Amino acid sequence: MRASVLGLIFGMAFVTFLPRFIPMAFLSRCVLPEKIKVGLDYVPVAILSAIVFPLLFSDGETIRIDLHSLLTAFPVFIFAWKVKSLWGSVILGMAIYWLLGFVF
Amino acid sequence: MNKNGFREGVKAALPIVFGYLPVGLTFGVLARTAGFTPLEVALMSLFVYAGASQFLAIEMISKGMAGFSIVVATFFINLRHLLMSSNLSLYFKNTRLHVLGLLSAQLTDESYALAMSNPSRIENKPRYLLGLQITSQMAWVGGSLAGAFFGPLIRSSGYGFPFALPALFICLLILQIKSIRHFGILILAGIFSLFFKWALPGNWYILLTALVASGIGIMIETVRRKGR
Repeated sequence: MRASVLGLIFGMAFVTFLPRFIPMAFLSRCVLPEKIKVGLDYVPVAILSAIVFPLLFSDGETIRIDLHSLLTAFPVFIFAWKVKSLWGSVILGMAIYWLLGFVF
Repeated sequence: MNKNGFREGVKAALPIVFGYLPVGLTFGVLARTAGFTPLEVALMSLFVYAGASQFLAIEMISKGMAGFSIVVATFFINLRHLLMSSNLSLYFKNTRLHVLGLLSAQLTDESYALAMSNPSRIENKPRYLLGLQITSQMAWVGGSLAGAFFGPLIRSSGYGFPFALPALFICLLILQIKSIRHFGILILAGIFSLFFKWALPGNWYILLTALVASGIGIMIETVRRKGR
């Protein structure tokens, strides 16, 4: 165990903890205005959309269509919509991605 | 224990476990390659517990960059948790501060999204969220450690594992479509995220998209209520 690595780990842990903790600690003790609550209601869908779209339409750097991911995502979308099962979606996604791996 | 939902939380975390194990394995392998010991790998996954910044730290160390710049980069990468933490605060009005400390230390994109797929299950039930998050974190730490020890023997990029987390996120996204307005925000946020990702470095696009999209959400809601 090197001291420099230990310092790095605790430095990273500390700065990661702050934005995770401060809003939860303070806002849970406040009465929030109705407008802010309405805005927060859209945060989950916005964050998830911001995670999913770049996964399908970029390769990490540039905007690009990744056919392997996109062809896998399409049936997963349909399945998730109809069945609403997290487990099922993960298994289905992995199976299709794996099978398509033989084609791409 | 069961009455308070801890076990339900543990069960609910299983899709995340599927996603975290292979990514944790990959992290363990890369960290070992960059000169970390298995103990250091496990401690980083336990205390930092934030995938993107851990991968970046490994990359920056391999390039010989200073610890301070890694800590600064980590801070900015993980700023995106601000809004998730704000959102979760709505459901823990009566929870003691040290419990909130534990809950927030384990907050990740995945556990947040899973918790928000049914907020009634977490409202004033910190034990449910604790069960969910402890299980997820164990998968992350366990995966990292396994990668650090057995890395070269395991092919974590095989068997469709790369699509486990994307599939989880797709289903969680679908579960968030509670009205036509949410669907509209979904499309707008998707377009904004691609634009921000293209225009800005790092992962600022997540925080910015959430801010802009929820701002638009507030505007839509204001107009709608005036119309009544």
